[in-house]
Amino acid sequence: MQYIVLAFRNLGRQKRRSFLLGGAIAFGILVVTFINGFAGGLAGNLEQNFSQLLGGEIFIQGVEKKASGQRVELITDDQALEAAIADSRIPVRAITRSSTFVGTFFFHNNSAVQAVVGIDFAGSSPLRNRLSLVQGGFDGMADPEGIIIGQQTAQRLKAQAGDTVLVQLRTVTGQMNIAEFHVAAVSHDPGLSVSFAAYANRAYVNAQENLPADACQQIGILLRNPGQTDAAAADLSGALSRRVTLLPPLPKATGGNMMGSMLRQHNENPMGAMMADLMRQAGEGGYQGTRYRLSTINDILGKLELPQVIGAINGISFVILIILFLIIVVGVINTFRIVLNERTREIGTMRALGMQRGGVRSLFLLEALLLFLAGAAAGLVGAGVLMTLTSLLSFTPTTPAFLMLRSGHPSFVVSPAQIITPLLVVGIITMLGAWLPARRAAGLKPVDALAAVH
Amino acid sequence: MKAFMKRFAGMSILFLALGVPALWAGPDQPDVAALLQRLDGMTNFTGDFTAEYTEISQHPGQQPAVYRHDVYRRDRDGAMTIIMRFPDAQKGQGYLEVDNNFWFYDPESRLFSHASLKQSWQNTEAVNSDFFRTTWAKDYAVESWSEGTLGIYPVYVVSVKGTNDQVTFPFKKIWVRKDIGLLLKAEDYSLSRRLMRTVYYPQYLQVGDHYVANRMLIVDNLNVGAKTELTIADVSTAPLPDYTFTKAFLQQVNR
Repeated sequence: MQYIVLAFRNLGRQKRRSFLLGGAIAFGILVVTFINGFAGGLAGNLEQNFSQLLGGEIFIQGVEKKASGQRVELITDDQALEAAIADSRIPVRAITRSSTFVGTFFFHNNSAVQAVVGIDFAGSSPLRNRLSLVQGGFDGMADPEGIIIGQQTAQRLKAQAGDTVLVQLRTVTGQMNIAEFHVAAVSHDPGLSVSFAAYANRAYVNAQENLPADACQQIGILLRNPGQTDAAAADLSGALSRRVTLLPPLPKATGGNMMGSMLRQHNENPMGAMMADLMRQAGEGGYQGTRYRLSTINDILGKLELPQVIGAINGISFVILIILFLIIVVGVINTFRIVLNERTREIGTMRALGMQRGGVRSLFLLEALLLFLAGAAAGLVGAGVLMTLTSLLSFTPTTPAFLMLRSGHPSFVVSPAQIITPLLVVGIITMLGAWLPARRAAGLKPVDALAAVH
Repeated sequence: MKAFMKRFAGMSILFLALGVPALWAGPDQPDVAALLQRLDGMTNFTGDFTAEYTEISQHPGQQPAVYRHDVYRRDRDGAMTIIMRFPDAQKGQGYLEVDNNFWFYDPESRLFSHASLKQSWQNTEAVNSDFFRTTWAKDYAVESWSEGTLGIYPVYVVSVKGTNDQVTFPFKKIWVRKDIGLLLKAEDYSLSRRLMRTVYYPQYLQVGDHYVANRMLIVDNLNVGAKTELTIADVSTAPLPDYTFTKAFLQQVNR
């Protein structure tokens, strides 16, 4: 206790120096915590936003192979799938069904390519919460031929809510078809991916693709606890395997160029790229009937190379952390060397009065520890304040990074490990920085120390 | 007597309803199913076929684009090979239809990938199947027909419907010359029966017993102003080595 009082007093004797060194520690902790929090929030927001846009955290896609050998993206009978979902006991918030095609939109002499996702607008579609409309409204989707198009597509077509557009598409068997859609609304493009998709009624999309009205091409499962996606997917995979033929999981994105090319081919729509991949996979081997594949939102984010983006942010955070740590360690060593020089005679006096070598060393290390604790506490509090203030900022849906935000606000998620790890590293570095001067101070002979002249 | 008159009137109406069209259809009515078979027979070769195809594609607000490629066909086997010659950026790219699989070969990556005969040909109004043998009799059934004239030619105007869900265009309307049975014009309709494109066949080249439309004009009815003119030159029916219809041929062409 006596040492702690002494250490406090010593730190108070050089307030400016202590403030600067503690401030450096606090700043390092603040920056690293803020960046980690931003990366954590980004991952969570992207997952949540994409899940709502795509209608699930877990997806089941089906490919039916007909007697002719032709493969068709189709789920006609989902009873077995529903039973498997029930078997798996995963926490389901909602189940969505969708059908998708990529079509060329025509309006007067303008054209634009756009993926069209057919969903069920009746009831509380998760899309309603996520999609921000520039023109028109969701009421227009009561029209079976209604469609919500992205802002960039609308601009390219020079079309607006209330217009009728023609869409050239191919049926599931590759036949040419032309569909007429009534633009019910124009939505803000959600950023990252240009004109992510247009949304229409599933029954009408099915009719254009020559699919049965109640069929779908994908079942999406929204979970009550999205953070558990991979665990829930593993449970569901086991349950599905017992009831249907499940294809191996989606290959992980390995080549940026290959994935980029796939996405370009499919109008930047990751579901189109995944479906093309599934069609290739389902073509292997002689079989009849339907094969299914389970994928997760993480597979899609992988296709969009978003984990790489988050990895890059974490990498930047790590580099900043290293630079700050170097500054801290140099600062601590220099500070305690100066302290040693300034207090040599004082150390001699304390040693002459009976303080042991270990006591001198402990005093130095205690000062360093108190400095670190004060700096770390200030850094964490500062990071908390900065994150709170930043999360109060509000961005419009036109913001390019809107998909990274939570309802238009930046959000931060810091895991305990992301707090503890930098604290441990900074703490150890601070103590190591103080260790050498402390050892030298402890090694001083009282006579030499008392005779020292500064 | 009244009852007899009623029965007579009823019989007369039935006769008029059923009998007159039958009489009218009588000996002059063409066998339209045979007409489709004849179309196939006239344009599909029993031996091999080679030609150089050139497309000039025009889209509103864009410079015309030119594509040139060689087509090798063995219609009896349903085989076809296409080698791109122009533009230089696509030179050496190849397509192979064999065993009901359509492959695309990219000489840069040296990889083959699946393609479809139903896909559009480059950035033109043509589709890949426009270069392939015709399958009118197998893939289409007559819905209705009438007589008319197209230019100076008396023609049969025949509406056909796809017999399966594999044909690129589910509905077509064709203008066929009455005298020699050549196709002069075709309108291609979508599944929703919207007119998508119109193809004109203004010029034919006779090669033995067969005919090749050596000029075609394809007009996009959806993207107004977009059209593609297709010309065929250097037609040959000399036998081709079997090797021509293999993946190895596409690879070897690029060495």
